[in-house]
Amino acid sequence: MAEWLDDFLFTYETLIHALGIHGLLALSMYCVMALGQLSLGQAAFMGLGAYTGALLTLKLGLPFWLVLPISALVPALVALIIGGPTLRLSGVYLAIATIALGEVLRVLYINAESLTGGALGLSGIPQKASLGLVYGLLALCIAGFWAIGRSKIGRAMEAMREDEMAAGVMGVNLPLYKLGALVASAMLAGLAGSLAAHSNSFIGPNEYGFETAVTILSFALLGGIGTPIAPVVGAVVLTALPEVLRPLADFRLVINGLIIVLAVLFLPRGIVPFRLRRAP
Amino acid sequence: MFRSFLVTGAVAVAAVAVTPAFAQQTVTVGAIEILSGPSAAYGTAIKAGLELALDEINAAGGVLGGKKVALIVEDSAGNKDQAVNAARKLVGRDKVPVIIGPTLSNEMFAVGPVTNERKVVTVGTSTTAVGITAMGPYIFRTSLPEADVVPVTLKTAQEKFGVKTIAMMYANDDAFSKSGFDSMKAAAEKLGLKIATIEAFGSKDSDFSAQLTKIKGLNVDAITVSALVEPISGVVLQARQLGIPASVRFIGGNGANSPKLGEIAGEAAEGLLVGSPWFVDKKDAINDKFVADFRKKYSKDPDQFAAQAYDTMHIVAKAIDTAGAAESDKIRETLLKTNHTGVMGPFTFTEGRDPASTEGVVVLGMKGGKFQILQ
Repeated sequence: MAEWLDDFLFTYETLIHALGIHGLLALSMYCVMALGQLSLGQAAFMGLGAYTGALLTLKLGLPFWLVLPISALVPALVALIIGGPTLRLSGVYLAIATIALGEVLRVLYINAESLTGGALGLSGIPQKASLGLVYGLLALCIAGFWAIGRSKIGRAMEAMREDEMAAGVMGVNLPLYKLGALVASAMLAGLAGSLAAHSNSFIGPNEYGFETAVTILSFALLGGIGTPIAPVVGAVVLTALPEVLRPLADFRLVINGLIIVLAVLFLPRGIVPFRLRRAP
Repeated sequence: MFRSFLVTGAVAVAAVAVTPAFAQQTVTVGAIEILSGPSAAYGTAIKAGLELALDEINAAGGVLGGKKVALIVEDSAGNKDQAVNAARKLVGRDKVPVIIGPTLSNEMFAVGPVTNERKVVTVGTSTTAVGITAMGPYIFRTSLPEADVVPVTLKTAQEKFGVKTIAMMYANDDAFSKSGFDSMKAAAEKLGLKIATIEAFGSKDSDFSAQLTKIKGLNVDAITVSALVEPISGVVLQARQLGIPASVRFIGGNGANSPKLGEIAGEAAEGLLVGSPWFVDKKDAINDKFVADFRKKYSKDPDQFAAQAYDTMHIVAKAIDTAGAAESDKIRETLLKTNHTGVMGPFTFTEGRDPASTEGVVVLGMKGGKFQILQ
């Protein structure tokens, strides 16, 4: 029994880690989408967190409890700096600007070779992200978003999502909310990036590009953004599906794609379409 | 159920019906290769090479006194996370003593620490980057690292064509190209070649005129390029368009060793030199038989990845047989003592679990859109 469980955990360890980490990334996406904004900078912030965390651990040997908050703060700082100019943009223009951030950072990682290892990336990162930590943080974040969603802030967020101008006229401080959401989203993505780096043992510059940005967006699109739990469900489904379908061998990716297409067609509001109930 | 389904799929060609009672009589080996996505050509070639060797091994009576060898090939889609998941499944669920693969060096860097920790022998057949086998005592590779092949190519260029001054170009955004360039630079310095300039570009770039115009003004004897085949083809084509004369030879790394280069670049690639651990027209009895059998089974020519995989399967099967049991630790010991003559030539491992001999390396020259052994 014990041996069986041990083998099971060994087989799915990486997957179980990835589920939790992708859950955090989905929440980071939810954070901006709940305001009706389309930012694709999550992958870039995740990369910043991953590189910050990995470098602090590898080069300075800082303890993990210190590394983790710093790798959330660095992306938050960057979000604060770029937030001013980029948040004047909206819709697809904001998306393009945030994609550019990812590209700029990618080129930076490749060329700052002495620090980041260039194209070869950083390897040998110690595995410090325990399952308890990953899922503890995820639970904490879901609970936090749930509480915020039911509060005055949540109501303002939903108002912005439905009609930004009307919300502004009603007295919602639009720039403050937007910047706040971007910073919180960057912190979450940075945290997830650092956890991923400390569970994968290897990171490279090409992991945080456009493709990852779209993957993170698809978590929220598939799951829905009515409640904080919805994007997490989306992340779990999208991450687990390729592994669950592994026995199908050659047809794996076909079925994987088919399920996603069907879900998008028939569940346009996401797999979890419910909305948060408000406190009276 | 899942397991027997997979096993059946993998060895369908061998027409072995796997039933639980029969499974006792087989030794299962795992493989992780790219079978889907843009790089699927590599993984499919490797799988073909492995299965051809598997047929021969089982037809000759298998291993360990009559046990058949079964192969489970898992798809990684070229993604390192999926490669790790596949490795964990092979180790945790299928309990294989040996894993062949994964295909890419990046994937190997992610899989290596996991399999090494579980003491499962892992043999790369196509991973050429620096530092692969340094990951741990259970990580082997049968592919010659770029650091062994490139010096042979450069030396040939120096001796045969009097190359003295070179310009170096490489793609700086992927591990394979960067690592290949590092080996090239070290080899050029060791041979005393004068490096006129080093120019970098991105793997997905399509315009190399800035770098090439600079190189044109430097009057070099040859230009080395380390990148995947698509950007190399672009570099070669644009160099000729910009008027760099055909007397300036291109020297490619492992990425240039692909028939696709001739197809894309055509005339422009004439005279390009590349080192290869294996070549389809290499004349010896073992290679002739391999090429003939491969053509018969798959109706196409094998490439170097299939050849390396073919040798690896034989090496692994031999190691299992001499180990006397399908146990990872014993196989590791016998694998270290490997002495095999395959399609790539005589093969032994160094103490660092890399291939020991570069005897099999041949330098190829591009002629009329096809590679030929340099005479």
